[in-house]
Amino acid sequence: MPLNIDWRQILLHLFNFCILALALYFLLYKPVKNFMEKRKAHYEEEAEKSAKLKSEAEEMKKEYAEKLNNADAEIEAKRSEALHELHVYREKLVGEAETEAGQIVEKAKKDASRERKKIIDGAGKEIADMVGAATEKLVLGSTSDAYDAFLNAAEKSIEKEENEIK
Amino acid sequence: MKKSALIFTSVTVCIMVALLLGIIFIEPAETGDITETMKDAVLHENDKIDFFGLPVNPGFISAVIVTAIVVVFAVLVRIFAIPRFKLKPGKFQLLLETMVDFFDSLAKQNSPHKNGFLGAYIFAAGTYIFVSTLLELIGLQWTSIAGESVTLGAPLADINGAIALGVLSYLVIMSGGIATNGFVGVGRTLKEFSLPISMSFRLFGALLSGLLVTELVYHFIALSFVLPVIVGVLFTLLHAVIQTYVLVMLTSLFYGEVSEPRKKKIKKSKRGLNAAAAK
Repeated sequence: MPLNIDWRQILLHLFNFCILALALYFLLYKPVKNFMEKRKAHYEEEAEKSAKLKSEAEEMKKEYAEKLNNADAEIEAKRSEALHELHVYREKLVGEAETEAGQIVEKAKKDASRERKKIIDGAGKEIADMVGAATEKLVLGSTSDAYDAFLNAAEKSIEKEENEIK
Repeated sequence: MKKSALIFTSVTVCIMVALLLGIIFIEPAETGDITETMKDAVLHENDKIDFFGLPVNPGFISAVIVTAIVVVFAVLVRIFAIPRFKLKPGKFQLLLETMVDFFDSLAKQNSPHKNGFLGAYIFAAGTYIFVSTLLELIGLQWTSIAGESVTLGAPLADINGAIALGVLSYLVIMSGGIATNGFVGVGRTLKEFSLPISMSFRLFGALLSGLLVTELVYHFIALSFVLPVIVGVLFTLLHAVIQTYVLVMLTSLFYGEVSEPRKKKIKKSKRGLNAAAAK
């Protein structure tokens, strides 16, 4: 062949290059490319996450700004609501206290009348006993005194007579 | 002036003086005819090397050495470097990623369809051309069948190596055409029938010219000062880059052209025309 072209050597060169190409593909090209793709996917995922977080944060910021703007009105509303609730509660407490006081007074009245009745009933009986005792005492007391006076006088006269005899 | 710098300067001056004296006083050895040297560099008729019983050109031995070097490097990188790759790349990782990304992007830009295989092919071809051209710089010595010492040049400066890569590139282009367009793809590729010849001989011519210029320069002792730095190193580096770029670019361009899907021709029926006219 002209220029020393040799088909066998061409085939040898091709075979040699095929080995090189296969080795480079499996050992370098594919692993490096896979790594780069994985990293790309990782960063895309991260970017997506951060974009989502950013949008959420912006929404929250907007919401908070709105809340901050409406805070005074909201505070006033809350205050009036609280006052109203307090008023209602106080009314309720006062009502309850009044009812309870009425009940207590009613009960006290009842108790007092019952006690009075009881005392009056007890006092009648006691007076009757006292009168009886007094009468008895009066009656019995006057008899014994006269008797004692008689005995004393008798004794005194006896003693006088004996002294005179002596 | 420091003592070390003084010693370095004086030693350098002494060596230069000794070299000049040698050049002036030593009789030059008989060198062969320049025509013969050039012919050998092109045809390799007298410097065949024995490869397991087959007489081959020095270029093939260079190709085998390049393959061995690259495969060993790839194995080492696969075992030690790739498992330690980080999300934030270091210098070596960045170099590898840049290389892979360069060829992958080139394939994607020039051939938007079916470019997965093309990227892998041009990565291998580019690496082969670049590394094998740089092998010229080392100037490895081998013994020929005749028992003479032979300097191993670039594998693509051998016509057989250049034809192999050119034809393979053409076949890869054709495979892209077949994968996308079937028989039409083959037709599109065959339309560029001069492509394998032009690709092969472009590589061969470019690398051989570098070799011949280097041979020419080293043939004459008077040209052996300063000039080899430019011719030997800079030219080799330059045409390693240029030839790599040219072959991978051409391959991916033609691959993209033949693998472009056919646009379906819209048949204008009479009914369609009438409907369009009515609107």
